[in-house]
Amino acid sequence: MNKEDKNLSEAHSSRRRSTVALILLIVVGMIAVYGLSRWMDEHRPQASAAVEEERLYLTGQAARRVSLSFNGLIADWYWMRALQYVGRKVLKHETTNAKVQLDDLGSLDLRLLYPLLDTTTTLDPQFMAAYEYGAVVLPEINVDDAIRLLQKGINANPSAWRLYHHLGYIYWQRGDYQRAGEIYQEGARIPGAAPWMGVMSARIMTEGGSRATAREMYGRMYEQSDDEQVKRMAALRLMQLDSLDERELIRKVLNEYQSRTSRCASAWKDVFGALRAVQGLRLDQTGAPLDPSDTPYVLVKGGCDVDLSGRSQVPYK
Amino acid sequence: MSEPVVSANERAAAQEQATLEHATPERIAPARDVRGSHLGRMLTIARNAFREAVRDRVLYNLVLFVLGLTVVSIFVGELSAGQEAKIIVDLGLSAMLLFGTFIAIFVGVGLVYKEIERRTVYAIFSKPVGRGEFLVGKYLGLCLTLALNVAVMGLGISLALLYVGGGSLALSIWPAVLLIFMELMILTAVALLFSSFSTPALSALLTFFIFIIGHFSADLRSFSASMGTQSSRFFFGALYYLLPNLSNYSFITPAAYGQTPDARMLLGSLAYAVVYSAVLLSAATLIFNRRNFK
Repeated sequence: MNKEDKNLSEAHSSRRRSTVALILLIVVGMIAVYGLSRWMDEHRPQASAAVEEERLYLTGQAARRVSLSFNGLIADWYWMRALQYVGRKVLKHETTNAKVQLDDLGSLDLRLLYPLLDTTTTLDPQFMAAYEYGAVVLPEINVDDAIRLLQKGINANPSAWRLYHHLGYIYWQRGDYQRAGEIYQEGARIPGAAPWMGVMSARIMTEGGSRATAREMYGRMYEQSDDEQVKRMAALRLMQLDSLDERELIRKVLNEYQSRTSRCASAWKDVFGALRAVQGLRLDQTGAPLDPSDTPYVLVKGGCDVDLSGRSQVPYK
Repeated sequence: MSEPVVSANERAAAQEQATLEHATPERIAPARDVRGSHLGRMLTIARNAFREAVRDRVLYNLVLFVLGLTVVSIFVGELSAGQEAKIIVDLGLSAMLLFGTFIAIFVGVGLVYKEIERRTVYAIFSKPVGRGEFLVGKYLGLCLTLALNVAVMGLGISLALLYVGGGSLALSIWPAVLLIFMELMILTAVALLFSSFSTPALSALLTFFIFIIGHFSADLRSFSASMGTQSSRFFFGALYYLLPNLSNYSFITPAAYGQTPDARMLLGSLAYAVVYSAVLLSAATLIFNRRNFK
């Protein structure tokens, strides 16, 4: 091998060595990046409330002015920010506490939610999902904000009868059945409104907060909503209503057993026959009645009463 | 007799070449000396990249920044209901990040491309200068420019804060300034990586995308956690670790409240920036080594 070949071969092997070293550096570096990322995620201090809940810089009107013709896009961005804001709070809460329902987020201190939804709907007044979400979530945080948001929606969209449904729901939830009934009536007068709006108005006026009204309310909400979270909330509330009916039936059976034998049932098998005879109740293989989420009910108070199991998906509150 | 017209860039390239010649007197250096001259050559290239940025009037943005900040400091008191110090920090640090990002992207993507376009790269590589040394030198030069930029801007913000009576914030903003510089270090490396194989326009666009995505890393992580399938969880999780997590360097809002990051996080962020930039520069070198300039 002459000197030129030797130099060429050395150059080749040097280049190969440098390539291998660079690839090795990239691999080791990425492993270090992974390790550092994990370390920083674990050791990152909690953001203070002042920083986390910093008020929005721009009001809805100001955001609309500076958004040029991109207001729809910016409204989408604010909408996603609102969802993420709630989602983050829920995830944080659920790491240490029990699951929370969408319409029961009052304990999460969601003070930025109204400004976020307000900005979203100022940028895009036809953003129905934002009004619907506000109607479900906001009443637990600040009912006046919820009403203000829905009124704003109605002013901007006078022909949207669904907004009357949402506003009526807020009043119904706070127990103002007269006002709720009137709002449903107003909504029913809008051309193209669903026929059940009028029926709902009459029902609220006469029955107020009855279980049948609640069932109708959540049933319509489930039927009308495009939002999966709202649908799930309505489904859970319907399950809760069914469970309340079922527990009344079971209680009746337990009371009958107690008056007949002068003692409470020690197990479900004691009242198996009577439970099987009740229409609408479903029993598992052991004879225990099942709640709407297919979890067996449990006997409490020494077998004199019935309650939901801790594993049940049916909401307590 | 009139002097020949020579552009600032050509002057810089000629100077770089001359300095390199001076820095490497031996064509074939003894093995012992190579280690020392590696750094020497990189520093020479860095010094020239810095000089070139100064000649290209990159630092003129400082004038704009200082003017803007002065106007804000004087008038913001009338508009902010006692929040002038907070607004100066928010505005000043955000402008620092924005100006820095534009410099990192637009100067960063041109660092290599300009040398190839002007053909000065032939002159440089005819000397015993490795392509990796060239890239790292250019990177360090731009980092130096950014460091100067960030330091002067930080000083401007501190002075403005002293003017409006926010004395305590004038000192406490500096860790946030340091974090911004670290973020710019990563962005410069990203710009350099893209420019090692792509056109300046595309590189700038891609770097800007990385800047945007990098700030949504935390969302990427919660997105991966909320995914239903294992494969999508893995995919988004991998993206989270693979892309630069620039949200680690977002400390502008807490800084406006006088908060400072704890020393461990600051060191962790510095280590992350250094390691991530090293990985990107290695990848850039790997690609650049394979480029044919014929």
